[in-house]
Amino acid sequence: MDAITPLIEEARAVIHAATSTAALREIEIQYLGKQGSVSGLMRGIGQLSAEERPAFGAKVNEARALIESELEARREALREGEWAAQFAAERIDVTLPGHEPRVGIEHVLQQTTNEIKRVLGGMGFVYQESPEREEFRYNFDALNYPPDHPAMDAQDTFYLSDDVLLRTQCTALQGRVFESTKPPLRVFTVGRTFRNEAVDRTHNHTFHQVDAFMIDEGVSMAHLKGTLGTFARAMFGPEVKVRFRPDFFPFVEPGVDYAISTPKLFNGKWVELGGAGLIHPNILERYGIDSSRYSGFAFGLGVERIPMMRYGIDDLRYFFENDLRFLRRYASAR
Amino acid sequence: MKLPVSVLKDYVKTDLSAEALGDLLTMTGFELEEILEINGEPVLDVNIMANRGDGASILGLAREILAKDPAAEPTELLSRLMADTPRRDRDNRDIWSQTNIKIESQACSQYALRLFPEVTNGPSPEWLQQRLELLGQRPVSLLVDLTNYVMFELGQPLHAFDAALVQGQRIVVREALDGERMTTLDEIERELEPGMLLICDGEGPVAVAGVMGGSTTEVSETTTSCLLESAHFDNQSVRRTRKRLGLQTEASYRFERSVDPEGVVRALDRFADLLEEITGAKPVGGAAQVVNFTYQPAELDLSLPRCRALLGVPVTISEAADALMGLGFSVTARPEEDCLWVGAPSWRFDIAREEDLIEEVGRIYGYERIPEWPVAGSNGIGGAHGYEGWQDRVREAALRAGLDQCLSHTLRKAHELDAATDLVPLLNPHSPEHAVLRNSLLPGLAEAALRNGGQDLRLFEMGRVFTDATERAQLAILMTGQGRGPDWRKDGAPAADFFDLKGVLEAVARHAARPLDLEPLDGADGRFHPTRSARWSGGVMGQIHPQWATATGLPAQTFLAEIDLEAWYGTALPEAPYTTIHRHPATRRDISVLVSQDLPYAQIEAATRAAAGEWLETMWLFDVYEGDRLPAGTRSLAIALQLRKGGNFTDEEANQVRDRVVAALEGLGAQLRS
Repeated sequence: MDAITPLIEEARAVIHAATSTAALREIEIQYLGKQGSVSGLMRGIGQLSAEERPAFGAKVNEARALIESELEARREALREGEWAAQFAAERIDVTLPGHEPRVGIEHVLQQTTNEIKRVLGGMGFVYQESPEREEFRYNFDALNYPPDHPAMDAQDTFYLSDDVLLRTQCTALQGRVFESTKPPLRVFTVGRTFRNEAVDRTHNHTFHQVDAFMIDEGVSMAHLKGTLGTFARAMFGPEVKVRFRPDFFPFVEPGVDYAISTPKLFNGKWVELGGAGLIHPNILERYGIDSSRYSGFAFGLGVERIPMMRYGIDDLRYFFENDLRFLRRYASAR
Repeated sequence: MKLPVSVLKDYVKTDLSAEALGDLLTMTGFELEEILEINGEPVLDVNIMANRGDGASILGLAREILAKDPAAEPTELLSRLMADTPRRDRDNRDIWSQTNIKIESQACSQYALRLFPEVTNGPSPEWLQQRLELLGQRPVSLLVDLTNYVMFELGQPLHAFDAALVQGQRIVVREALDGERMTTLDEIERELEPGMLLICDGEGPVAVAGVMGGSTTEVSETTTSCLLESAHFDNQSVRRTRKRLGLQTEASYRFERSVDPEGVVRALDRFADLLEEITGAKPVGGAAQVVNFTYQPAELDLSLPRCRALLGVPVTISEAADALMGLGFSVTARPEEDCLWVGAPSWRFDIAREEDLIEEVGRIYGYERIPEWPVAGSNGIGGAHGYEGWQDRVREAALRAGLDQCLSHTLRKAHELDAATDLVPLLNPHSPEHAVLRNSLLPGLAEAALRNGGQDLRLFEMGRVFTDATERAQLAILMTGQGRGPDWRKDGAPAADFFDLKGVLEAVARHAARPLDLEPLDGADGRFHPTRSARWSGGVMGQIHPQWATATGLPAQTFLAEIDLEAWYGTALPEAPYTTIHRHPATRRDISVLVSQDLPYAQIEAATRAAAGEWLETMWLFDVYEGDRLPAGTRSLAIALQLRKGGNFTDEEANQVRDRVVAALEGLGAQLRS
């Protein structure tokens, strides 16, 4: 019985003398562990009578609780100082460069293409691919180009044979779609086009185009303007306005060139983006679409022009040069 | 087309500035390219639409300005030219050529001549020279300058022959014979081909019709009599001829865009008036004119409801009639039917359908008045789906795997890393550097790698490649060196090896839900290291062949993959059936075996999976050892098995799985290592 009180006193003194939480862990084992002093007291319980045992057990448990609370109080007192020392020792320079995981750089034209796909896809246009190596009849005949017409002068063409060429315009998809799909329809594509031109800052023999078209009942120039307005505002900001001016493309009638203007870009000047218009009734009729019931619109534009206008890129050649300095510069663009 | 503002004001009364005139023409469709300053004067440089040859003249652009701007009025000169008042002598056909003009081709609808028997051909007067300079034309001599000036004014090309040099007092318009030759005004002898339209005299060709005159009948300082030609040639014929001759002239530019067939004689008369004003020289008799056939301008109904429906504006019948009449169309209104009967003027050969009239009404009414409407109607789901959508997933996976995206040219020259198929050549390349279509994306990636220093690169491209018969989408990858830049922690990743590339492909394959069941390529593709390369249903991959590493300048440790996306897309994996994700703890057993180096790991993995059964949640290889401490030709593999089921494992259950796997591997010749 008298063994309990001195043990408590002894433990208390040892706990107070401890100078680290590590030392406290040792003390805890020494007194409270399976082989510890307090557990040792309990082993003596067998020598006591059945009447004495409950009281003795309670006293030992009391002692255990007392020591535990002494330990915890001392641990808390020591921990604060220990952490302060640890934190002081573990200080790092948070301005050192980080260790970035490697994520690929997405080509700036790909980012632009993704945005175009999101915007037109959201308006219900279905993305469809089309060959880069195209037949003359899809690139010109199906698009209502009269034979030997000066409209082809703007389309200097690379030929693979008399009737096979590299498409000069993504509009070549139209005939392929109209052969297999009945209206109503909304389709677009984004892809490479080719022109037999000398290369300089503003010309390349290869560039990308978006081409979109829809056919339904009652489609008008106002729907075309609304669609282009929505598209242009998605690409260039909410303040963008769209202007039509008359122009000639054999596959549309009326045909327009559309320009955009925004106070943020190009000082509010009109900047022409591409060609558009109502799909020529000759084309609808060629594919058995009743032009008195259905009408449609089509528009196209160069993909490179979009990042060039947005970021002020002044040389078309960068887009195919794969200079990682250029690609990294626009890796995080919008 | 250059339009000097000072010259224009002789034809149109307007207070508009050069800028305002440019804007106005732009909004009619004749886009202002720029405002030039020539001899201190503003000159509008205007784009002529390919179907609007009538705009390639002062007269044509003046018509557009008058139609678009209600405040503008024609001058007395323009009114006279538009009224086309015949000269007094027009009906007097007392010249030799009248009976000696013969048109033998349908490519010429009419041919007319005037004869000026007494002329002197010196320099033009100052005012004419100045005007031609403003119009962008170099003054030559009075006769030549006047043909040019009338062409710019009215749009009708003219040609002046020295009448004394025209042989046999006859003109025949016919197509060239095989092997025929002539020397044009630019002193180049040209080989003519059947189908080219010629103007011939009694001896042979004196002009390529609508393109350029011949040198034998050229007017000069010694010319004393002049035969002046004005004609109407077929636009397609002139275009084909000038393309084959590689000879574009102001005349061919106008003819291939079509000229006004009713303006042929007017131009002869205008020339005669101007020549008489300047020199007093008069033509003999009248104009000789032979009409082969006439063009009938379009006559069409214009339904106003359709016009409103297509333009999306509430244009009235009188607004539409005014717009068309302002452009020279004849119009009869049928208000009860809300319809106009419209006759096109002779110079508007582009008008063929009702929609053409709707465009005319729209551009005069003003496209700025068209509102923006959202599209309504029915359609399926927009965006990319199927094969197109899957390609987006592949590209996303490549980016996530740390590959930088390249876009290289489709047109290129041959390269060491081309695929084995023949390269498809262009018939008309612009340069030898861009003369064939790529049959692999690897050459472009190799060039991109070298452009960016040739080391420590992770590149990919997706794009089309070509053979004679096919155009297919391809994914190509190039990896070499470390995957990250210099790092102050000095624990940068090791240089890329075969298994880094394979890991990237595994990540892409998982994301794309396609298999990557590699087997050794064994030299089947000479671009690759024969014992460090593989193929599967989607493509080929591996280390570059040392020979091509040296030839291209790429590091020997360069790893390449070339994937046929269409083929890979066609090998979709079946969708995995649903299985419960158990919440009980997993247990692990490790197995270490000694195996022959010739036994592919794929067989070991397959045998392990088969033997372990459904409790095998995942397995991984955590050590491969080959070395002196092992018998020759063997290696040691350490495999971890992670087991899980819908309850806790007993040791015995887990050991049974391990024992089954060990037995299966022993069946493959493996020895268990303790």
